Amino acid sequence: MDSFSFLILSAIGLAIIFGMMGVINLAHGEFIMLGAYITTLSCLAGVPIPIAIILGSIGVGIFGFIVDKLIIRHLYGRPQDSVVATWGISLIMGQGMLILMGPSLQGPSTPLGSFSVGGINYSLYRLILTIIACLLVVLLYWVFMHTKFGLRSRATMQNEEIARSLGTNTSQMYTLTFVVGSMFAGLTGGLFSFTMTIGPTFGTGFLMESFVTVIVGGANPLIGTVMSGGTLGIVHSALSYIFGTFIGRVGLLVAAIIFIRLWPTGFSGLLEKKILRVKKTNG
Amino acid sequence: MLMTQQAILSRQELTDASDALIELSQVTRDFGGLRAVDHVDLTIRRGELRGLIGPNGAGKSTVFKLIMGIHSLTSGKILFNGTDISEMPTWQRARLGIGIKMQIPCVYGELTGYENMRIAAQNYMKNNEIKGEIERIVELIGIEHLLLQEVNNLSHGQQQWLEIAMTLLSNPDLLLLDEPVAGMGPEETAFTAEIIKRLNENGFSIIFIDHDMEFVRQISKKVTVLHQGATFAEGNINEIESNKEVIEIYLGSDSSEGT
Amino acid sequence: MDNLKNFKKIDSEKITMLVLCIVFLLFPLIASAYDVLNMSYFFSMVFLSMSLWLIWGLTGIFSFGQTAFFGVGAYAYAMISMNFNNNTMTIVALVGALVIAWILALLLGYFMFYGGVNDVFVGLITLCVTLVMATFLAQSAGSQWKIGSVLLGGDNGINNIPPLSIEIGSIQFSLVGTYQYYFIILVLIGFYLFLRKMQHGKMGYSFVAIRENRERSQLLGYNISLLQTLSFSFGGVLAAFSGVLYVTWGGYISPSAMGISAAALPVVLVAAAGRNNLSGVMIFTVLYYFLSQKLSVSGSEYALVILGFILIMVILIVPKGIVVTIFNALDRLFSSRRRRDANDTASDTKQAGTY
Repeated sequence: MDSFSFLILSAIGLAIIFGMMGVINLAHGEFIMLGAYITTLSCLAGVPIPIAIILGSIGVGIFGFIVDKLIIRHLYGRPQDSVVATWGISLIMGQGMLILMGPSLQGPSTPLGSFSVGGINYSLYRLILTIIACLLVVLLYWVFMHTKFGLRSRATMQNEEIARSLGTNTSQMYTLTFVVGSMFAGLTGGLFSFTMTIGPTFGTGFLMESFVTVIVGGANPLIGTVMSGGTLGIVHSALSYIFGTFIGRVGLLVAAIIFIRLWPTGFSGLLEKKILRVKKTNG
Repeated sequence: MLMTQQAILSRQELTDASDALIELSQVTRDFGGLRAVDHVDLTIRRGELRGLIGPNGAGKSTVFKLIMGIHSLTSGKILFNGTDISEMPTWQRARLGIGIKMQIPCVYGELTGYENMRIAAQNYMKNNEIKGEIERIVELIGIEHLLLQEVNNLSHGQQQWLEIAMTLLSNPDLLLLDEPVAGMGPEETAFTAEIIKRLNENGFSIIFIDHDMEFVRQISKKVTVLHQGATFAEGNINEIESNKEVIEIYLGSDSSEGT
Repeated sequence: MDNLKNFKKIDSEKITMLVLCIVFLLFPLIASAYDVLNMSYFFSMVFLSMSLWLIWGLTGIFSFGQTAFFGVGAYAYAMISMNFNNNTMTIVALVGALVIAWILALLLGYFMFYGGVNDVFVGLITLCVTLVMATFLAQSAGSQWKIGSVLLGGDNGINNIPPLSIEIGSIQFSLVGTYQYYFIILVLIGFYLFLRKMQHGKMGYSFVAIRENRERSQLLGYNISLLQTLSFSFGGVLAAFSGVLYVTWGGYISPSAMGISAAALPVVLVAAAGRNNLSGVMIFTVLYYFLSQKLSVSGSEYALVILGFILIMVILIVPKGIVVTIFNALDRLFSSRRRRDANDTASDTKQAGTY
């Protein structure tokens, strides 16, 4: 459960940006880091924890907006160039934070204490993280399926040219997408800022897991991420539980490699194919 | 000496007995729940020039892609020169001597015409023959002026010419042309018809797909009609044109653009 | 014949490379031992970029895995040479490391390309493979993790790896300092000329064909799975060679050389330089390492910030790659007729025009 929420939360921002814009955001970890800093600093300034987390999310959203307007906007449809640019952004953010704030920051400890079921201790906060991850998935589902934004973004994802010719402002869509993706990254940073030491390299702990989850998930940020987060989460926790964290981590990666080899389009592609097949048979 | 003669003779007999160049038997392909090609039998003799016609969505292009191995067969068998190629990868079929011009131009857009030709040629000849061979083909088709340009800057028609030229460089036994005159004006169409006929006279066996009955009549005596993935009729162009059922499927279907 | 004409045609790229070649061959005569040592390091890393140019720039395989082979080369060399603990066996260690990397690259290439994995998905699989290796090595700290008598060392890596040494008759000398420099630069020039020649030959055009249009290439009789595997495995060997040079230079390797940041760096360098142009990739790699070292030696904490800024500017202002753009500008400056396209193939086009 724990690793499910971790994978979902760390991947979702990246998945939205990758799935809809085709931009591989190498600065994703730094975005998460920024969210953690904003949340922690707000907390230290006396802001209540839930509001501090929301502040972190909004702050990174604003930051994402600026980055998009200055840099990413020029790189729509150029995924390989976006790798270079976002790498540059991550260098600047990581080192910039080190210069501004020093090597580490002492934040408040994990709130809410713990409870025990059948002799095993569970942190209440971690339970809440899981619940939040599930809520986010539901929220995302609702946004995608029941709002104008969702409809337009699905149209853009399927075929940019057609969406544009139907009057969707795809450039605006991309900006919005990048901001939303950034906000999720910031939220993730805020949520996890209470469970780890905060430093400029805070985000790198998320980077690998988030990438693997997105890779296995494929292009659809909703279905793909949830499915792959779920599957990989099970693989990871089962292996970690039986063989220890190292095997768990390696098992996660090996599962990902095998998965892409078998189904290169990830879970999204797999599901789309199924749906398509069903539709065709009916028609 | 005697042995060799006998060998040649027996080989002659063999080809006489079955001078089929390519034989499709009961070829079927499903996409999901959709049957695109349905138990098609098609035999092309050596030296034949065959038209493949039919309304939109009849499965004509899919048949070509099955012959090339771009799509795999759901069931059935394809023999080329007596070899079963049903399971062979695309590149081996190309090496055996099947060349294709795709419906939508499939060329190296970022490279120049000359580079396109060079890439097409180098698998089939020695390095020092490449230039002369390219020169020959380019003169045959009359596209010298395209060699220096980046292919993305060429018109749709010019890209088709280039693609045909590239295919010819491998000197294929069987040439598949998917809509060779799509998007060409009447003059160009006439020229293309001339070239295709000349190629056929020079020993290339050709199957081509087209919608334009006028064009089909110009170059081909024998045509095969596909309808809903299955062979509908086969025979002399005049017979086919006066066949009521064929007229019906053509008129009955939505004969809009594209396939 | 083709190549003769190629070499006769002079442009800014060839002049630049010739001048650089002469300058760096004479470099140890004019520079301090310290500078020579640094240069050896920069040139070692050029092989890594070179490997990515071959598989990405030429063949169109987008790989994040070059640092994995870099690491394989480095660790394998360390293992073999330190187990023998005999200077004359370092050449065996070098060859062994390259062979191991080659076999691994062949296996991985076979796994991917014969399974029809392509484009960005190759990048993703290779990234995962790299991370598996980094993760495995990072936790190999305990004494139970050793090959022969050498500990893998976990996060701390391996120290005191011996340099290459050569025995000619009774004379034996280690490739350190200036000797090492000349060894590296001569091999580098050799590989450069070899790759350039290959690029304009049959193999080069086969690779370009795959990069540009896989479907058409198959239809023209190219066995693309085989060619991709070939290119990928050769790229793996080049990357491993880079790794061997790196450990013989510094005597040290750790898993951080394979982390996600290290894995992305070659991609960034090749993209920023202009991935279709080998000379550009090489020049930019040296420049990058030179700059990052100058900035960090000067003690400025803004070094990484400035580097990040440069990379963003490069990609926004000169998306074709900075060095390629400079070459083009110079050519235009000196001759209005000359034109180089992004594929580095103008020479062939002109030959076509000469008949």
